Amino acid sequence: MDSKGSSQKAGSLLLLLLLVSNLLLCKSVASLPICPSGAVNCQVSLRDLFDRAVILSHYIHNLSSEMFNEFDKRYAQGRGFITKAINSCHTSSLSTPEDKEQAQQVHHEVLLSVILGVLRSWNDPLYHLVTEVRGMQEAPDAILSRAIEIEEQNKRLLEGMEKIVGQVHPGVKENEVYSVWSGLPSLQMADEDTRLFAFYNLLHCLRRDSHKIDSYLKLLKCRIIYDSNC
Amino acid sequence: MKENAASTVVFILLLFLNTNLLNGQSLPGKPEIFKCRSPEKETFTCWWKPGADGRLPTNYTLTYRKEGETFTHECPDYKTGGPNSCYFNKKHTSIWTIYIITVNATNQMGSSSSDPRYVDVTYIVEPDPPVNLTLELKQPEDSKPYLWIKWFPPTLVDVRSGWLTLQYEIRLKPEKAAEWETHFAGQQTQFKILSLYPGQKYLVQVHCKPDHGFWSEWSPESSIQIPNDFSMKDATVWIFVAVLSAVICLIMVWAVALKGYSMVTCILPPVPGPKIKGFDTHLLEKGKSEELLSALGCQDFPPTSDCEDLLVEFLEVDDSEGQQLMPAHSKEHPGRGVRPTHLDPDSDSGRGSCDSPSLLSEKCDEPRANPSKFHTPEGLEKAEKPETNVTQPQDPQSTSVEGKIPSFHASGSQSSTWPLLQSPSLPYPRSSYHSVADVCKLGLGTPGAASALLDETDTHALKPSQTIETGGEGKAAEQRESESFRSKTDQDAARLLPQDKTPSISARPLEYVEIHKVSKDGALALLPKPNENSGWAEKTSTPETSKEYSKVSRVMDNNILVLVQDRRAQDLAPFEEPAKEAPPSLPQNPAEVDLASFPAAPSNCRLQLGGLDYLHPTGFMHSFQ
Repeated sequence: MDSKGSSQKAGSLLLLLLLVSNLLLCKSVASLPICPSGAVNCQVSLRDLFDRAVILSHYIHNLSSEMFNEFDKRYAQGRGFITKAINSCHTSSLSTPEDKEQAQQVHHEVLLSVILGVLRSWNDPLYHLVTEVRGMQEAPDAILSRAIEIEEQNKRLLEGMEKIVGQVHPGVKENEVYSVWSGLPSLQMADEDTRLFAFYNLLHCLRRDSHKIDSYLKLLKCRIIYDSNC
Repeated sequence: MKENAASTVVFILLLFLNTNLLNGQSLPGKPEIFKCRSPEKETFTCWWKPGADGRLPTNYTLTYRKEGETFTHECPDYKTGGPNSCYFNKKHTSIWTIYIITVNATNQMGSSSSDPRYVDVTYIVEPDPPVNLTLELKQPEDSKPYLWIKWFPPTLVDVRSGWLTLQYEIRLKPEKAAEWETHFAGQQTQFKILSLYPGQKYLVQVHCKPDHGFWSEWSPESSIQIPNDFSMKDATVWIFVAVLSAVICLIMVWAVALKGYSMVTCILPPVPGPKIKGFDTHLLEKGKSEELLSALGCQDFPPTSDCEDLLVEFLEVDDSEGQQLMPAHSKEHPGRGVRPTHLDPDSDSGRGSCDSPSLLSEKCDEPRANPSKFHTPEGLEKAEKPETNVTQPQDPQSTSVEGKIPSFHASGSQSSTWPLLQSPSLPYPRSSYHSVADVCKLGLGTPGAASALLDETDTHALKPSQTIETGGEGKAAEQRESESFRSKTDQDAARLLPQDKTPSISARPLEYVEIHKVSKDGALALLPKPNENSGWAEKTSTPETSKEYSKVSRVMDNNILVLVQDRRAQDLAPFEEPAKEAPPSLPQNPAEVDLASFPAAPSNCRLQLGGLDYLHPTGFMHSFQ
């Protein structure tokens, strides 16, 4: 009788001990939680930040490419827009590396600020792109849905990049350099040919710039995280 | 002279042209740049297709212009890419820049240019195939054997720095097979194949794709021979299968054991014997007719709500307690629409009660306010449902019925029973089949006979219970059947022989009478048939409803009612039929007949020509004879 009671007690004590130890262990072993937006001292690792950024940039370029192809197929056939879309991107004023050697020679802080500049330059055009595509007659859903998604993901990528910059070289107050876009009046032209060319040009530049950002980020990730040994 | 010179010049020109044409020499055809490709996003090559060269040696030059620059360059390297190609090395390649490239073909005759081609190196990346594809068979001791495939990325692609990210795909097949088996390998440079056929020779290939480019060509085939003793033990699979099937068998055995009987009955349902719900055959033996018939009550069968819908009205013969079929006048109904329920709470109890009034229908075109001689409890019952055809005062029939009343007694007993028909307070006629059965039973007087009849009528009774809901035609058909059935059984029984005694028969259209009740001494309580015309929406066509009723064509001398046979009811042979015989007009006898005010006295009666299939009267007439 007595032994039974004591064994029961021992059992419950053991259970309690196990429970407490589990809680403690879980707490220490658990991976760092994803940072809620606005948290200041969040400890997401740089590797995770870069992984997420690369996934986003890859996704954004895929969407841009599809959107451009869709528009080209549907509206731009036989209009010879490509001949006019030479040297007409608003971000060409930003100096960006034009091949692999140049990109590898640029210091990663500079490259990061270039990326940030391009991303910021696209905030405004993407917003207006969504508005104007919506206003198109028979707004094609394939284009509109992608435009909306790109606008959303671009904002998230910008936030992620700012976090990366905060971790790679914290404390540096960078100048927010970006290109101003002034193509809105062309998007709203009454003349259909002019308006369609404005859209074509915008989508063409978006496809190119999203590819640039994707390439630079992948370079940076392999350089910073994997020490150029991807 | 001038003419000669001119013609000579012309001649020479023509000759020159001719010789040229004969030689086939002409301007070179327009060349076409058909492909530009970059293997690693650092260099690129363009190839062109020459046009017709005009039979003259043609020189091709490639010129290009870059986006953002104004001057035109010439191709830096015509050799590296092979014939008719231009190779742009790293120095001359800019990514994210549009090149405008043109090829010029020049020969003796002149030159022609291709269409300009706009090229952005970003979008023309197509790498070389992966290299060093190796195959290795591994047979570890404690796990399954597999084929290990390894490869390396193409040499030119810079994957280490992340400039290009490659994804791979391998495919393999046994040498003789027709289809390749493809596997996606992601970014890894090795792959394991587990399912292989021993004794076969396998061929393997791999190719790759950059993150935003095109798939490369397949690498050259590598082959490997799988040895014959390459065993692929799938014992675990068999064990799993065996265990699963054992479990399933156990479950089935257990289910069968528990529910064996119900399963058997589910699979092989027992053949139902004839049975009436609520019908207890023991009661029959005991002779407790009331309980028996209450069991057959109209609660379900037919449903009370449909009682009013019944197109068939039965002659209800109530033998209960030997009561007079002429209850007190007090039972008469105040007016239309009074349900019989207040007399008999269970209107379809199937019990003929002494409350059933005898009814004589009144002329149908008489105003309802007229004291109709008959109660039509049934009609009143149905008055609740205006759409039924039973709610009408039996005006047209009243006179005829009255006229026939005297001759109705089959047994020729007291004509005083006729007043039964005139009494106001006969119990409500039951329009359900059970009342018929009732009647028959009572008429026959013996439980045994009654049960026999009931049994016979039951089956038919059961059927109409369904048809009652369906509508007039159905009901009529069913009833006709049952009528015919009854008529057959009772055929040799009573024949209502019409007699010529039709006192004060006026020329009136034939009207229907429902025999509401038959007393023990053979008096028939008749209900005027409700007039379908009076006011509800016709549910059924008149001919159909007419089937339910036995139309009394005339009354014969010995108090026999001549019932008119329905034209369509072939089996109503025993009936005589004068379809259009003028119904006798019955003397109105207000003193004796208590006619409830019928609902909606119709202005025009509907003639029930064609008689009926309702043979109940014969049934019990027989018994009374």
